[in-house]
Amino acid sequence: MSKPVVVVVGADKGGVGKTTVSRTLLDYFSANNVPTRAFDTESPRGTLKRFHPEITEIVDMTTTSDQMKIFDTLNSSSPSVTVIDVRAGLLSPALASLRDIGFLDAAKSGQITFAVFHILGPSIASLDEIAETANFMQGAKYFLVKNFINDTQFFQWDQATYNSYFHRIKDATELTIPKLNEMAYEQVEVASVPFLKFVANKGVDDESANYSFVLRGYVRHWLANVWSEFDRIKLTDLVGSGKVGARSSGEK
Amino acid sequence: MPHTPVYIICSPRPLVGKTLIARLLSEFLLLKNGAVVSFDINLKEPSLLEYLPKITETADVIDTFGKMQLMDRVIVDDGIAKVIDLGFHAFDEFFKMTEEIGFMKEAARRSVAPVILFVADTDRVSARAYPMLQQQIPASALVTIDNEFTVRGELPAAFARGRVLRIAALPVFLKTYIDRLTFSFTDYLRNEKDSSTELHQWIRKNYFSFRELELNLILQRS
Repeated sequence: MSKPVVVVVGADKGGVGKTTVSRTLLDYFSANNVPTRAFDTESPRGTLKRFHPEITEIVDMTTTSDQMKIFDTLNSSSPSVTVIDVRAGLLSPALASLRDIGFLDAAKSGQITFAVFHILGPSIASLDEIAETANFMQGAKYFLVKNFINDTQFFQWDQATYNSYFHRIKDATELTIPKLNEMAYEQVEVASVPFLKFVANKGVDDESANYSFVLRGYVRHWLANVWSEFDRIKLTDLVGSGKVGARSSGEK
Repeated sequence: MPHTPVYIICSPRPLVGKTLIARLLSEFLLLKNGAVVSFDINLKEPSLLEYLPKITETADVIDTFGKMQLMDRVIVDDGIAKVIDLGFHAFDEFFKMTEEIGFMKEAARRSVAPVILFVADTDRVSARAYPMLQQQIPASALVTIDNEFTVRGELPAAFARGRVLRIAALPVFLKTYIDRLTFSFTDYLRNEKDSSTELHQWIRKNYFSFRELELNLILQRS
């Protein structure tokens, strides 16, 4: 049996695009035929569940019962990858909980593959989280995700500031999520379907839809760029699949 | 299954004769097919809309909404030929967008046949724009327009490698005559009894070139 994989997507700051990145991950795993389940910690309402209702469960990560629901089923559940979309402000507490229940030790000893996608917004407050989160990262794959929700430079014009954040953690890998056209983003929001279905012009129940060709084109282009970043970090290798070439049709 | 042609007349340069060619082509398609939809994406040049208001719609590619309004119409295989008169200011944005949204691939999937009519000029901007088009557009769908009134001499070799459609220069007095807003090429052919006039022959030659272009499209499909 392959090792269970847990991917945590989070940030302590809100509005930086955590759920958007989680959605691209679920689409990526789906296109690469990696069985995946997801947990949305935006209890009681879940944005991720709205887009991926079949595989997403809403949980409250601060409660023991829901922690059990996620982590006690890692070995028994059939999907090999578990994606947890951690709501704003909960990343540090969630990681502390994982340390307390011995999960981080299990990751360190190689029983579990653990990856954290830390979504960064274009503010110092967001970058300040890096140092705090890094304390929990022994044994985990740590990805610093620069999410371009606007035309930010992530302080790259100021090398001292940039280096103080992005070069502080030795084993962190940087990822860039480009900006998606605003209208295209809104149209997918209205459609309430995964990005992949939107590109394929399909509705919630796989029925034929009538989305704008232009907006679908923008989403396709953007998603291809995001996925090329996931390919670059060899995400499928990380989750033990390694089938980048065997993507299901429709994503290009 | 029908194949809907979409002619995109473009140049990164102003005043090279894009609107003239769009007028000619629109009138030819209207005469031949009985229907055509033309789009005027010119804010700063003489406007196709003023010449052919009954068949022309305005569009812009400045924002996403404008792009949707234009491209979602253009990508439909409804059997009605489309002509886009693309202003020089919209050239870069338009082709950046078509590349991003995968226009050529989607058009092929939907039985829509785009034909890019690039109006050549001898300047550096045109010389830089053409390779960009070559990269994005299959050679079979890229046609260089050699407007003798603009180029005034031999077409630069870089443009002459692919398919070239020549538009002969008219004497200035005839150019002024056809530039009148009320002038119609087809009406002139219908009403002018003397078919030996220079203008008569000029229009017929251009209509013949367009017919050949259409024929090429059909041959490519078969």
